[in-house]
Amino acid sequence: MPPAAILIDGLVQSCIFMTMAFGMVLVFSILGILNWAHGQFYMLGAFVVYYAITAAGIPFPLSILISGMVVGGLGMLVEKYIIERLNIPGYGMLYVTVATLALIFFFEGAAGMAFGLMDKGLATVLPGVLDLGSFSVSYQKIAVIIFTIVILAAMYIVLNRTKIGLAIRAAAQEPVAASLYGISVKRVSLIVMGIGCALAAMAGGVMAPVYTVSPFMGRIPMIFSMLAIIIGGLGSLTGAIVGGIILGFLNSVIAYYVSYLSEFVLFLLVIVILLVRPQGLFGASIK
Amino acid sequence: MKKWSNVVAVLMAVVIVIGAFAVSCTKTAPPEPTGPIIIKIGSQGPYSGPAAPWQLAGDPPSDEFLKLFNEEGFQVNGKTYNFQTVEVDDKNTPEGGAAAAKQLVHGDGVKFIVSHWSWTFPAVTAVTNPAKVILISRTGNEAVPASWGGLYDPVTMPYVVFGNPSHEQFTSDCLAIVDAYPNYKNLGIMDSTLGAGPGWDQVFRDLDKAGVRYHMERFPPGTMDFTPIISRFKDADCDIVYIAGWITETWAFAKQRWEMGYKDMKVGHSGPFVDINMYKSICGPEAAEGLIGQYWANWDFKKTKVNPKYVAMCQQVQETILQRTGKFPYTGWIGWSPSHILILSQAMQKAGTVDDTDAIMEAIRGGTFDTTTGTWTMSGAKTYGSPVVFGTPSALCIIQGDKEVYLSEHPMDPIP
Repeated sequence: MPPAAILIDGLVQSCIFMTMAFGMVLVFSILGILNWAHGQFYMLGAFVVYYAITAAGIPFPLSILISGMVVGGLGMLVEKYIIERLNIPGYGMLYVTVATLALIFFFEGAAGMAFGLMDKGLATVLPGVLDLGSFSVSYQKIAVIIFTIVILAAMYIVLNRTKIGLAIRAAAQEPVAASLYGISVKRVSLIVMGIGCALAAMAGGVMAPVYTVSPFMGRIPMIFSMLAIIIGGLGSLTGAIVGGIILGFLNSVIAYYVSYLSEFVLFLLVIVILLVRPQGLFGASIK
Repeated sequence: MKKWSNVVAVLMAVVIVIGAFAVSCTKTAPPEPTGPIIIKIGSQGPYSGPAAPWQLAGDPPSDEFLKLFNEEGFQVNGKTYNFQTVEVDDKNTPEGGAAAAKQLVHGDGVKFIVSHWSWTFPAVTAVTNPAKVILISRTGNEAVPASWGGLYDPVTMPYVVFGNPSHEQFTSDCLAIVDAYPNYKNLGIMDSTLGAGPGWDQVFRDLDKAGVRYHMERFPPGTMDFTPIISRFKDADCDIVYIAGWITETWAFAKQRWEMGYKDMKVGHSGPFVDINMYKSICGPEAAEGLIGQYWANWDFKKTKVNPKYVAMCQQVQETILQRTGKFPYTGWIGWSPSHILILSQAMQKAGTVDDTDAIMEAIRGGTFDTTTGTWTMSGAKTYGSPVVFGTPSALCIIQGDKEVYLSEHPMDPIP
């Protein structure tokens, strides 16, 4: 049994992978595309939180909400002016993939120019630790866990208890039939892209005090979120959550036992999971 | 219509050619220089990308030092020379490194390049060596000779000069830490998987020989969560952890070890502190207190003798930057570019030439040079087979409040 500190760490990792993977899967379910720049929305969210706190003195929880709104809005612009125009039948998937890959470097470059390349820190936000005897946990990490619970609960309510949630699920299951029932799939796509990017941004925002804020901070979380949705099953929201949990804990526990071989072991496990169950743990989609 | 477009296109082409010819004809011969003769030196480094902060932090003081150096200039065969740097971004990638070197060598026509140490090294030397361009670089742990399994091949890279030693620096840093904390339990050493290789094997042999107790951990590049590795260091009873470079990772490590409750675990890294405030804002003031870093403030060296002239120049640069920006620059610049240009200028004087790179290399091999970090002798052909500065002050400091405070020093013994 690994030490409790490792399990707590695994939980924190899982929280971020879950939140990001959830947003990616949501977008995939409706738009049928993988947003490769998802990690950069995570990064932009962290910058919004950083400047909201340091430049405007806005409280941390409110900063996270603002980052969700600002970056969610940006995601909607990307959907409307880039993805929608490129996502044409036939080669659309390829065009959108190339476009979102290009956005990775565009956003990183733009962030570098706008905010500078020096790493920034928010260590003074929620400082201190909760002493649990043989180990302690920072309040920042506790905030990540609470944030994830709140966000996933909110997403559950939005998807299952609201009209827009019903529209999203309908558009995901049968876009043509949904259109016939008066649901604007275009508008739903726009909203879903906004929600997906907002989730990534808020995840980045809540992690801003935990690590450093830099234009390149989105790359690794993006890769792990992608793995989480592949393990969970592309298109499955439950799969994204379970995949995120598995990956977060494995990442932490394996690193504790095998040190730098962790990535080798982790990715080997991912390949084995995919060989045994190519559709991922939770099959096809939320359909 | 199409016919007219073709006619217009041809006319435009003719106008452009004639215009270009006319402009070239108006160029006059450059005037004879009346002041010092300028020698261009390429300076390639990461001006963009994740590693850029270190390049950008070191540039202003290095430029100031060069200004001071050029006020006096240096004499070769009765003529006075100045250096002028041509800065090119290598993006810290092999492709960027090769492109930057090509631009400097073939575009700007430089014969000397000062550079940082990075994985760009093989790509850069592939451009500089065939062109007989001298590359003066810092070294990294992988810079051990190819005969040991490292990246550096003195036979195929005869125009490479290492302004700082490689794995020997790590050894001396570790010994400086042990000098400062003789009652340590176990010294943790951390590097990324990229650094694994014969350089570290040599460090371990040296540490074994010196009787140092240590435990090594590696992390995959990109790691930001060090909780598992910190736990492993704790399990190995390490009370000091020395991290080879990797500033961002040091921030994460220092912060996370503090949050995990291991407040007594001392943390240090092999680089100098870029900006103490940055460490505090990222790690938190408490976690940043006591962090160990390299210290190149030559005026504080206790065991290494530095030419008072260079000490005064470095202090003057510090004051200039303080007046300009309101804060002192990090001291890391002192051990880099100034030391490189001093090696180069003194080698030119010894060789009696400023453009025969073979003769200059001949002067560098086995030569003794007076630098901003002390007077050190190059290896010559006996050990590495090519010039390497066999010396480093290996001075360390710790963060105390808002200041870097001298901690210890373990100057490297000359290697036979």
